Amino acid sequence: MRHVQEEFPGNPSSPHRWGQDARRTLQAARDRVADVLDVPAGTVFFVRGGTESDNLAILGRADRSRSEGHTPLILYSSVEHSAVREAAQEAVRSHGQAVVFGVDPSGQLDLTTIRETLERHPDPSSAALLSCMWVNNETGTVLAMEELLEVARAQDVPLHVDAVQGAGKLHLAQLARAADLLSLSGHKLGGPRSMGILVCRDRSLLSPRLFGGGQEDGLRPGTEDVAGAAGMAQALELATHDREGEAARLTRLRDRLEEGLKEAIPDLRIHGAEGPRAPHITNVGIPGLPADVLPGALDLSGVRASAGSACRSGSSGVSPVLVEFYGEAHARGVAPLRLSLGWNSTPQVVEGALKIVPRVLGEIRSAGIGTRPS
Amino acid sequence: MDRKKILVAMSGGVDSSVTAALLVEAGHEVIGVTMKTFCYEGTPAHARSCCGLEGITDARKVADRLGIPHYVFDVEEDFTRDVIDDFVSEYAQGRTPNPCVRCNSNTKFGDLLKRGKALGCQGIATGHYVRSGVDDQGNPALFRGLDRKKDQAYFLWGLPSEILPLLHFPLGGLTKAQVRDRAREMDLVTADKPESQEICFVPTGDYRDLLRTRLQNRHPALEPGPIVDLSGQVVGEHQGYAGFTVGQRKGLGGGFDEPHYVIRVKPETRTVVVGPRWALEARGLEVDDLNWLLGPPAPGEEVSIQIRHGATATPARVDESSPSEMTLELVEPQSAVTPGQSCAVFRGEQLLGGGRIRQPLQNLAGRTGVQAQTPVKV
Repeated sequence: MRHVQEEFPGNPSSPHRWGQDARRTLQAARDRVADVLDVPAGTVFFVRGGTESDNLAILGRADRSRSEGHTPLILYSSVEHSAVREAAQEAVRSHGQAVVFGVDPSGQLDLTTIRETLERHPDPSSAALLSCMWVNNETGTVLAMEELLEVARAQDVPLHVDAVQGAGKLHLAQLARAADLLSLSGHKLGGPRSMGILVCRDRSLLSPRLFGGGQEDGLRPGTEDVAGAAGMAQALELATHDREGEAARLTRLRDRLEEGLKEAIPDLRIHGAEGPRAPHITNVGIPGLPADVLPGALDLSGVRASAGSACRSGSSGVSPVLVEFYGEAHARGVAPLRLSLGWNSTPQVVEGALKIVPRVLGEIRSAGIGTRPS
Repeated sequence: MDRKKILVAMSGGVDSSVTAALLVEAGHEVIGVTMKTFCYEGTPAHARSCCGLEGITDARKVADRLGIPHYVFDVEEDFTRDVIDDFVSEYAQGRTPNPCVRCNSNTKFGDLLKRGKALGCQGIATGHYVRSGVDDQGNPALFRGLDRKKDQAYFLWGLPSEILPLLHFPLGGLTKAQVRDRAREMDLVTADKPESQEICFVPTGDYRDLLRTRLQNRHPALEPGPIVDLSGQVVGEHQGYAGFTVGQRKGLGGGFDEPHYVIRVKPETRTVVVGPRWALEARGLEVDDLNWLLGPPAPGEEVSIQIRHGATATPARVDESSPSEMTLELVEPQSAVTPGQSCAVFRGEQLLGGGRIRQPLQNLAGRTGVQAQTPVKV
């Protein structure tokens, strides 16, 4: 990225030599992304982060439907990231409709609700958008995409997939080819923060949300971040190179982590273990402990963990994902602990965490917090 | 100086921001926490501050500026049980609660203490304008803040005494103006933030909105009832006695030949008793729900008491005292001694403890069997 930043400082829209160089570099990045995802380069749009990608898909689709005289209808799952959930709510505020479909802990979707909603609708292919995350960001649960794709095809309704969490950990290209819209985030791939991608199979599905400049085929105007795009392409290549080997390595680390935690905390509940899940997330529930103390106590001891999604854990509260999967009573009765593994995680790191977590738990309980000492 | 690991409660206001900054400056290892007590979701204030998010965000910005870790503690469940439920039940019984005292006594400091221990802290700090130190006998003690306009000792009479040695109040020796100056010098984002005035869990500013959502439909406290004068004659109707507090003048209607005030609220008959100013005067008071930071004052001892925030202390003599309740005789009669409010007890500058006011005593002699001179039957 630094190389690109220093060697190609031009604005890709400029007519002169520097502009041409920058434009070529940007195109190269787009081609590399398209190669990895196995989609046409013209369907790859660079945007600012995963949140913007999700927002553009949902609100851009809603605007488009509205401009064609329809009332937009967004169907999204009950465990979506707030970027999707709140964008859908915004679409409702601008005279749209939204329907939430349920998900069980094994990742199975409430297809009946989806089918019935779409069958009742006079013109679902013009008005409706299905939006569903691939991998849940809190538990790692892999949602049943194949069934959803079938429904989307049968009803001829565009499908948006928030693939931010799954990219690099599961087979991405297959999904990118099948979905109409797909969102990716740079930093989740070890790439640049605040860089994102929206894959859009058919440009006419969306209206832009920003105006002026015409960049990215008018879908996301504004001077392009050439270095960010190059970094994003690089990160995506690295993350998908030997994806299977890396996934197997992470799975071994995760299994060891969970086995060790289970030994130390016998009444531990492993969230998401009921079905397929991504290898890089462990989410456990520790019974009889308030949720708020553990992340801070672990952080001070060198273990970086969270109680849920980073965007929300600042304000804490009970996790809507755990409520959906396991019910209110369970979600309120456990302290959720989410530990993620990445390319830099090693067996030593895992063993270290396994020493620290029980010690910190002991300190919390001996301070008189929690109801059930283990 | 001993370098300590200190947990600082950061609300996102200027006082707690400067508290954290001063402790960092003094060389301590400081951990900032924001207590999330109440969720504004679904209230009109939601857009402005989701779950007190504005406070959390500001506290985090200050922590980042100071280079200290910052965490959020969710004490909503404890807070709802110990503070909000109590607030509602007090109003339903015709009394006037003091939720900030209740929070300090039951929720905030206890929760901070436990969580601080869990994080390995040796001290707890808040931005209250009080001074911690030792008294003549060397016991850990609390004293009024030097800035008399900001002094907050009144709010802390209910602290568990065992927590005293752990407390740090770096603002106790400063004025509010000095605190704002320090915040500006250090370029803290909270430097010019306005004072918070509202009760934190009443975002609309009208506590009756909260009562209406928390009490069941047609609760007597929110139903119309008679307004009567001292002789018992009905002089008007009110729309729910929970809207009235002793000493209040607003909402009584006109038609009196001299200004009238609420003298008493009687929930059993849904009656609000009103009278002229002199009828508000009390010669003594009964206090229960006692808590002492040091031992209780002995019967006969003269102490000074404060019966509302910002009021000057007034001398009182301990008449009777038991572990659970106390009767105080006021050296000078006081106006509007309000059931449910706090009575903080001081010896000079030192906060001894206090309790909740059970009722004013219009005539102390009357309580011991001698009939009152004035025909006051309230």
